[in-house]
Amino acid sequence: MLSRIIFNVIQVIVVLAFAPLIKGILNRLKENVQSKRGPSILQPYRDIWKLFHKDEVVSEDSSWIFRFTPFVVFITPIFVTLLIPVLTDYPLFFAFMGDMLAAGFILALGGFFATLAAIDTGNPYGPMGASRTRMVGFLAEPVFMIVFFTVSFVAGSTIPYIVQKHWVTPLANFFDPSHILTILAFLMLIIAETGRIPVDNPSGHFELAMIDESKGLEYSGRGAALMKWGGAMKFMVLCCVFLNVLVAPWGLAQGPEYWQVLLAIPLILIKIFILLLVLVVIESSLAKLRLFRITEFLGAAFATSVVAMITGLFFM
Amino acid sequence: MSDPNLLLSFLTKLNALTGGVFLLVAFGLVAIRQMLTCLRLYVFQSLLLAISALILGYFYGSIHLFIVAGLTIIAKVLLIPWLLRHTVGYESYAKREISQAINIPASLLIALAITVFAYYIAVPMLAAAGAGRFAWVNLPIGLACLILGAFAVTVRREAVPQLLGILAMENGAFLAGVAIAPNLPLFAELAAAFDVLIIALVMGLLTMKIHRTLGKTAVGELIALKED
Amino acid sequence: MELLIILIICAVAAALSLIPLGKRFAPVVTLLASLVVFALAILAALANLRGGEVVAVRDWISCDSLSALILLLAAFVGLAAAIFSWGYINAIVGAGDDRKIRRYYSRFNLFLLSLLAIPLFSNVAIVWIAVELTTLFAVFLVSFESTPQALEAAWKFIVLTGMGAALALFGILLLYWGLSLAHHPGAFTWAHLVAAAPQMPSTLRNTAFLFILIGFGAKVGLVPLHTWIPEAYSQAPSPICTLLSGIETSAVLYCILRLLPLFPSGAASRAGLWFIVFGLISTGVAAFLMLKTKDFKRLFAFSTVEHMGIIMVGAGLGTFAAHFGAMLQIVAHSLTKSLCFFAAGSTLMATGTRNIPAIRGLIRISPLAGIFLMVGGLAIAGAPPFAVFLGEFAILKSGVASGQYLVIGLLALFIGVAFFSIMYQINQMVFGSPDVILIDEQSLFGRSTLPRRNILPWTCIAALVVTVIPVIVLGVYLPDQLYLLLHNAAAVLGGSR
Repeated sequence: MLSRIIFNVIQVIVVLAFAPLIKGILNRLKENVQSKRGPSILQPYRDIWKLFHKDEVVSEDSSWIFRFTPFVVFITPIFVTLLIPVLTDYPLFFAFMGDMLAAGFILALGGFFATLAAIDTGNPYGPMGASRTRMVGFLAEPVFMIVFFTVSFVAGSTIPYIVQKHWVTPLANFFDPSHILTILAFLMLIIAETGRIPVDNPSGHFELAMIDESKGLEYSGRGAALMKWGGAMKFMVLCCVFLNVLVAPWGLAQGPEYWQVLLAIPLILIKIFILLLVLVVIESSLAKLRLFRITEFLGAAFATSVVAMITGLFFM
Repeated sequence: MSDPNLLLSFLTKLNALTGGVFLLVAFGLVAIRQMLTCLRLYVFQSLLLAISALILGYFYGSIHLFIVAGLTIIAKVLLIPWLLRHTVGYESYAKREISQAINIPASLLIALAITVFAYYIAVPMLAAAGAGRFAWVNLPIGLACLILGAFAVTVRREAVPQLLGILAMENGAFLAGVAIAPNLPLFAELAAAFDVLIIALVMGLLTMKIHRTLGKTAVGELIALKED
Repeated sequence: MELLIILIICAVAAALSLIPLGKRFAPVVTLLASLVVFALAILAALANLRGGEVVAVRDWISCDSLSALILLLAAFVGLAAAIFSWGYINAIVGAGDDRKIRRYYSRFNLFLLSLLAIPLFSNVAIVWIAVELTTLFAVFLVSFESTPQALEAAWKFIVLTGMGAALALFGILLLYWGLSLAHHPGAFTWAHLVAAAPQMPSTLRNTAFLFILIGFGAKVGLVPLHTWIPEAYSQAPSPICTLLSGIETSAVLYCILRLLPLFPSGAASRAGLWFIVFGLISTGVAAFLMLKTKDFKRLFAFSTVEHMGIIMVGAGLGTFAAHFGAMLQIVAHSLTKSLCFFAAGSTLMATGTRNIPAIRGLIRISPLAGIFLMVGGLAIAGAPPFAVFLGEFAILKSGVASGQYLVIGLLALFIGVAFFSIMYQINQMVFGSPDVILIDEQSLFGRSTLPRRNILPWTCIAALVVTVIPVIVLGVYLPDQLYLLLHNAAAVLGGSR
C-alpha cells in the first residue's frame, strides 16, 4: 500500500519535472525541421525559472479570479496525473477517485478558469482569445463525448486501466476498426485542444490571430510561470492518456518492484518523443486554418469518431 | 498464427478496419474541398476495396475474389486516374476548391445521418439471412458508401467530383458484393470492371467537351434547360 | 441461333459504319443491318410462339415470350429510326462532314446493340451491364449537336442514370445473395430467380426490389428521377429520341417488370403497391407538366413519362387482364411514340424551332409534317381509333373489374388531363395562320444553322409511313400471332386470372 502511494508521488514528480522538457524538445524539433538551429531544449526551464524571480504585476481592476487562476491551471493536471496510467498498468493509490470522464472534467476546469481570467482584466485581446477558445472547445466537446462513449462501449469500462488492457488482450483487438479510428479522432482532438497547427499557431505573436495564447497575455512573474508550467503539464498529460490508454499500452510497469517503475520513466519519454515527431511532421506540413475552417477540421474529427462508434456498435 | 480461431479473428478485425477506413474515405469524398485530393481519396478507396476482396478471398479460398482484387487495382487504381488526367486535362482538376450546394459541416451531418440510415436498412437483411462476420461489416458500409456517393453527386457542383461520386457508388456496391456475392460469374466481373472504365472515359470526355465549349466545368451552374 | 446473329450483326454494322466509303455507305449498312435484325427478330418471335423459350446459350442468352416481345419492338423501332436517320442526319449535319455522319451511325448501331442485348440476355448481371451500356453509348448521341444545351442535357442524362445504375447494381447483388441463400442450384437468370423466390428471406427480396425499382426507375423516368428525360429528348436528334423513348424506356421497364413474378401474391404484394404509387405519381406529374411546356419535343418527353406511369399502374394491378393491357400499352406506346418523334423531327426540319408558341399553321408550311404531327398527337393522347386507346382501355377496364376504383379514377383523370394538354398544344401548332410566326432568337436554341426546308427527305416520309401503319392497324385489328405473343408475355408476369 505504501509503495502505491510512493509510486503515485513519483508519477506526479515525473510529470512536473519532464513537462517543460517535452515543450522544449517540441520547439527545438520544429525549428530543426525548418532548417533553423532553434532554442535549447532546456529553454522552458530557464523561462520558468526567470519568471519566478520577477515581480508580478496585477491589474487593479481584476478580481480574485485573476489571482486564483494560475494555481488552478497548475493544479488540475497534477490531479489528473493521479488518476491516469503514466508509469504503471495497474491502478495506484488515488486512482479510485475518478475515471476518464473525471479526468476530462478536471482538465476542462482549468480551461474554464483560464477563460474567466482572460475576460477578468478587461484587456481587449483576452476576451477575444477566450471566446475563440470556447468556440474550439464547444466544437471539440461532442467529439470528446463520442470518443469516450466509443472507448467505454467497446472496452466495457471507463476506467483507463481496464480500457488499456482491453486493446491488447488478445492482440487482434488492437486492429479493431473502432480502436484505430478512435486514435485518429483523438489525435485531432489533441491538436485542437492544445492549440497546435492547423488549428492554432502556438508560436505566433500576433494578438489578433491568437486563439490559445492570448489568454495568458496579462500574466507576469509567478503567475505567468505557473500558467506556462501548467500548460506544459496539460500537454504531457494528454499525451500520456493518448499513448498509454489508446495507442501503445506497452512498456508500463507491470509489477510492484521499484526498478520496474523507474524503468517505465525512460520508456514513456521515448513514446512521447515519437509522438512529438509525428506532431512536428503534421505542424510543419500543414498551414494554419482560417478561423471559420476550424469547424471543418473538427467536423472531420467528429465524423471519424462517429464512424468509430458505428463500426464498433455493429461489429460487436 | 497457427491457431485458426486467432487467424479468423485477426482477419475479421482487419476487414472491419478496412471497412471503417473505407467509410471514412467516403465521408472525405463528400466533404473535401480539393479536387485532386478527392481523386486520390477515390484511388485509396479502390485500394481498400481490393484489400477487402483479398482478405475475403483468402478466407473463402475463392479465386474469384483474387481476380476481383486484381481487376480493381488495374482498372480503378491505375487506369482511371490515368484516363482522367488524359481526358479531363490537368487544368480542370488542379483548380483547388470545389463549390458545394450545402456547406461542409452540414453535409457531414447529413452524411452521418445517411450512414445510420444505411445500417437501419442493412441490419434486418443481415439478420434475416443469418449472415457471417464479413457481411456484417461489408454490407452496411457498402450500402452507406453507395448512398453517400449519391449524396456527393447531388451536392457537388463540379464535373469531376460528380463523376467520382458515381464511381464511389459503384465501389460501395462492390464492397457489399464481395461479401454477399463472392461467386458471381467471372464474365460479369470482367464486364463490370470494363464498364467502370467506360463510365470514367465517357464522363471524362464529356467533361472535356463541356470545358472546351463553356470554359468551365461547374456543371451545377448549367441551368439553360428548364421549364419557363 | 438467330439471337447470337442479331448481336453479331449489330456489332459488325457498328464497325463497318466507321469505314470511310462515301457518304451513303454508313446509312446503307445501318439500314441493311437493322432490316436483317428485324427479320431475325420476327423469326425468333415465331420460333418462340411455336416452341416456347428460344435458347441460344443456356443460362446466358435466351428469349421467352416477354423478351421476344421487347426484342421485336426494339428491332422494329430500330429499323424505323435507321430509315429516318438517313434524311434527318444529312439535313442537320450538312453535306461536308462525312466523319460526323460515320460516327453517328457507328454509335447508333452500338446503342441499338445494347438495347437489343437487354431482352436477349437472361443472366441478370449481364442485363445490368447492357442497361449501363445503353446509357454510355447514348451519351454522345444526345450531345451530338455539341451545343452547350446538348452538353448539359448529356451530362444530366449520364449523371442521373449512372447513379440509378449503381443503385440497381446493389439491388442485383442482393438478388444474387438471395439466390445463393435459397440454396437454389441454378445460374443467375430471371427464371431461376423466380423459382428460388419463395425461399428467399422476404426483407432481402423487398429491399432488392426497391433498389432496382429506384435505380432502373431513373432510366425509365419515374417521377422524382425523370428530370433528365425532357432535357435529353429535347436536345438529342429525333431518331435518337425515338430509340430512347420507344425502346430504351420500355426495355428498362421490362427489367423491372421481370421482378414482379418474384412476388407471388400479385396485387396484394408490396411490389404491386409500389408500382401503382410510382405509376400514378409519374402519370399525374407528367400530365400537368405537359400543359406548361413550350417545347414540342419536351411535350413528347413528358408524354413518355406519363405512359411509363400508365404501364406501371397496369403492371401493379396484378391481374392477368391488367398485365395484358400493360403489354399492349408497351407495344402501342413504342410504335406511337416513334411516329410522334419522327413527326416532331420533321416539324423541326420544316420550321427550325422547337418553340410551340412560335409555330402557327404548320399544316400550311409543311402539310406532311402537320398531318403526321396531328395524327401522332391524337394517337399518343389516346384517341379511339389508335392502338394507345386500346391499351389504356384494357388497363382501365381490368382495374374496374378488380375493384380498384380509386386507382382507376385517378388514372382516368390523369389520362384526361394529358389528352387535353397534348391536343391543346398540338392544335396551337398545326392550325392557325402561318403569317404570325414569331421567331425570337432564344427560341432557336442555337439551331439557326438549320436550313428551313419545306420538302421532307423521302426517307423521313418513308419512316413516318412505316410507323403510322401499325399505329392505325393495331387500333382496329390485332393479328393472331401478336395476340398470342402478348398473351404469353403477360402470362410470364404471373398475374392472377
